[in-house]
Amino acid sequence: MKPATDPAITTRQRWIGVLARAAGDELNRHESALRDAEYQLIRAPEIGMTLVRGRMGGTGAPFNVGEMTVTRCVVRLADGRTGYSYLAGRDKPRAELAALADAHLQGPQQTHWLNTLIEPLAQAQARRRAEQDAATAASKVEFFTLVRGED
Amino acid sequence: MNAALLQPAFADPVLDAQRSFRAALKALAGPGVMHTLQAAQRPPALAGLDAASHALCLALLDIDTPLWLSAAFDTPAIRANLAFHCGCPIVTERQHARFALLDQSQLDDLGGFDLGNDRYPDQSCTLLIQLPSLGGGPSLSWHGPGIESENRVALPLTDGFWREREAHNDFPRGLDMFFLAGNDLLGLPRSTRVAHNVQERA
Repeated sequence: MKPATDPAITTRQRWIGVLARAAGDELNRHESALRDAEYQLIRAPEIGMTLVRGRMGGTGAPFNVGEMTVTRCVVRLADGRTGYSYLAGRDKPRAELAALADAHLQGPQQTHWLNTLIEPLAQAQARRRAEQDAATAASKVEFFTLVRGED
Repeated sequence: MNAALLQPAFADPVLDAQRSFRAALKALAGPGVMHTLQAAQRPPALAGLDAASHALCLALLDIDTPLWLSAAFDTPAIRANLAFHCGCPIVTERQHARFALLDQSQLDDLGGFDLGNDRYPDQSCTLLIQLPSLGGGPSLSWHGPGIESENRVALPLTDGFWREREAHNDFPRGLDMFFLAGNDLLGLPRSTRVAHNVQERA
């Protein structure tokens, strides 16, 4: 598949990714702001399975890693903007909040939502990632081989 | 796909689809008996599609069932919502369709739909026909499997339709049909014999 090059698509991909990785109660803190709009559930939050595929390196053949649970939701605001969400796990309220966030982020107040919602979430995720990487790096083992000096 | 045209479907996607499927099953098992969808299981009306037609579309269509739309139903709103909620491919050639959504103006020509084959007659196309009402036409006598003696049914259909049905019925190959109006549905499987010419009516 060709990677998306349209900047509007890549920025939306980024915030949908950030919303999908938002942990537990992080979205709940914005619940009142997110729900402060008239909206309609086009597809009420529903739980299903999706197949995860992977491949070894850039040239390996694709294989099925396994199935995982996802929750998806689609909402529409009164002005016709639709928000979509796909989250890992079985948390329906969180899927609804993430879909609402996606809808708000496509509107005129995009900068406001990016600054108050997406950036803090992205920073928290980057921090968690860095902590995890640091914990992993501490267990790194270096292997040395002696130069045999054949030439 | 135009996201602004999307609207909600069944309130309870699993149970409402099962209830609608059950109604469709009963309608084909007892041809000519009218079934009414309960208020709670009806999807919201979709531009041009009655509640019963919409409910059957949502219950029967999925990614494996190519759908043929007659011109009256080939609107952006119907296309967008069926693509979103059912994911069914929409085909332009009648012979590729597993289901077809027709209105009254199409009933004088049923040619081109897949009748199935002798080994797999079940692979035929099923017609979903939306009518203004399920009564008010000439009262005809229906016989056959699922009918104890006879059912009197007064669908507002022309003789041309019944001739077309006869021409495309080569048992076990043939077309099964649902007639839909408002919240009501009525089934007409290929096995039902309809006394429609003058001698039989007398």
